[in-house]
Amino acid sequence: MSTIAEIESLKRWKGILDDTPRRERYTSYVAEWEKRIGAFLEFSPERSEQSASPEESDDGSSTAKSGPLAAVPFAVKDNIAVAGYHLTCGSRMLEGMSSPYTATAVARLQAAGAVVVGKTNLDEFGMGSSTENSALKRTSNPWDTDRVPGGSSGGSAAAVAAGLVPFALGSDTGGSIRQPAAFCGVYGLKPTYGAVSRYGLVAYASSLEGIGVVSGDLEVANEVFSTMRGIDPLDHSSVEAEPSGASSPGGLTVGILSNLGELAPEIEGTYRAAIDGLGKLGMRVTEIELPTLEYVVPSYYTIAMAEASANLARFNGIRYGHRPEWAENPEELMRKARHEGFGPEVKLRILLGTYVLRSGFQDQFYVRAQKVRTAIREDFDRAFARVDTILMPVFPTNAFKHGAAGLTPFQQKLADKFTVTANLAGIPALSFPAGVDSGIPVGLQFLAPAFEEQRLFAAAGRYAELFPLQHPEGFSADWSS
Amino acid sequence: MDQKELYVTASLAQLELSDTEAEALSEAVEQMLEYFSRMKEIDVDHLEPTTHALLKANRVREDRVAESPLADLLLENAPETEDRFIVIPNVL
Repeated sequence: MSTIAEIESLKRWKGILDDTPRRERYTSYVAEWEKRIGAFLEFSPERSEQSASPEESDDGSSTAKSGPLAAVPFAVKDNIAVAGYHLTCGSRMLEGMSSPYTATAVARLQAAGAVVVGKTNLDEFGMGSSTENSALKRTSNPWDTDRVPGGSSGGSAAAVAAGLVPFALGSDTGGSIRQPAAFCGVYGLKPTYGAVSRYGLVAYASSLEGIGVVSGDLEVANEVFSTMRGIDPLDHSSVEAEPSGASSPGGLTVGILSNLGELAPEIEGTYRAAIDGLGKLGMRVTEIELPTLEYVVPSYYTIAMAEASANLARFNGIRYGHRPEWAENPEELMRKARHEGFGPEVKLRILLGTYVLRSGFQDQFYVRAQKVRTAIREDFDRAFARVDTILMPVFPTNAFKHGAAGLTPFQQKLADKFTVTANLAGIPALSFPAGVDSGIPVGLQFLAPAFEEQRLFAAAGRYAELFPLQHPEGFSADWSS
Repeated sequence: MDQKELYVTASLAQLELSDTEAEALSEAVEQMLEYFSRMKEIDVDHLEPTTHALLKANRVREDRVAESPLADLLLENAPETEDRFIVIPNVL
């Protein structure tokens, strides 16, 4: 369970909504930043105050008045349910809908006293790497507003990087926490598959995704993870963590890749510099191979789109969500609702997912993709027999520009190879700020075997000795009264 | 995938496609399928498919009645209701 000790960086956040002068300073700070970055789809701390009731905590106990997370504000990606707040998934399909219930991960944080202040923007249903696929709002990178914040949890990463909240929840299906965290210069944890309950997370690709955390402070990220995790009767794929207890922070052996393919110079340079840095910190560095790495992206997209086509079948305008003005019969109602409610990227993924699952094509695509998934798992098993953790880039470029000046949707998909590996194998990964190049952050990630999240925190903690967290211009964290 | 296949697939997915949409999507679909076929290069014949990375067995629980207060709240999100029924256009 969570420790009782206070966390230094959270002290200044405590009770910020309860004290009028502090609250006013805080909300005007958020409003100023929001004009430039648009991280939130909904910023309304008052909703939490109205709905705060003890019975919402998962174990029936009342909300904690003490402990490191008590009276600390946080933000939630808008594909994770919080009772009383909207749950749009960045889609016209669910615009205006209100969630009747709260995700288990959020409920556990609320039981520890943390307070939801709003819902953050995302690529529609989590499908994208830029947050530009949101049908509802444009979000920009706090370091340079001409650039994207990454995605799909772009709103959560931008909000944390700008200092609007000390932490935010995201979901990671193929890198959707780690890539925006890297683009915005903060930490992003994708936990072991099943370590955190998915109850209340709107399903995109069920076998790959999970809820995780973005924060500027490793200790906070660790506390949030420890509070959220654990088996949940409402999610049958949730599991109790079983860490091995092996290895010590000082003596970590780090696996590195020699053949990384094409990387932007700032990523290549930061990766090489980080390897040297780890050596200076006394860690052992060993080259490893992941021969399947070149095939993970087609495998990932085949599986993700197949699962998406099934999961998104529920959005048909009948029970909730967008309903067309008029339809002659139920079938036309569904088709019109989906035609009007979904954006182009979502339609593309549903079409491809439906196609690869059609009879006659399954062996060629879906089953083969699942076998490639086995191959990358075996690659990791071999690697982790020799090393404690693996250091990889997060994305082949840093934050790219908005619109046509950036990467095409296809280029963005190809660039997912370093992140989707962890989702295919179900293992945890933590992206961390590793440098700033020409005013734009560069992130790298550590990967570890299942349930070894603590190893990731230890390794990133050591790296922070070399490169402490940096902030974009205009960042403030002074909430003293 | 030719246009005919695209429309068959869209119909299976209950998606309506305008002609301009179909044109734009068919290009993107083609590009992705060609990319998917790269998986042919790797020999995976001897491997079992992975459906879930870490799930080793089904988890079962006792079958018992539990209360859920959610039903009425969920109905509040329905676009149109009559009593506790959701209204849709005539089926016949």
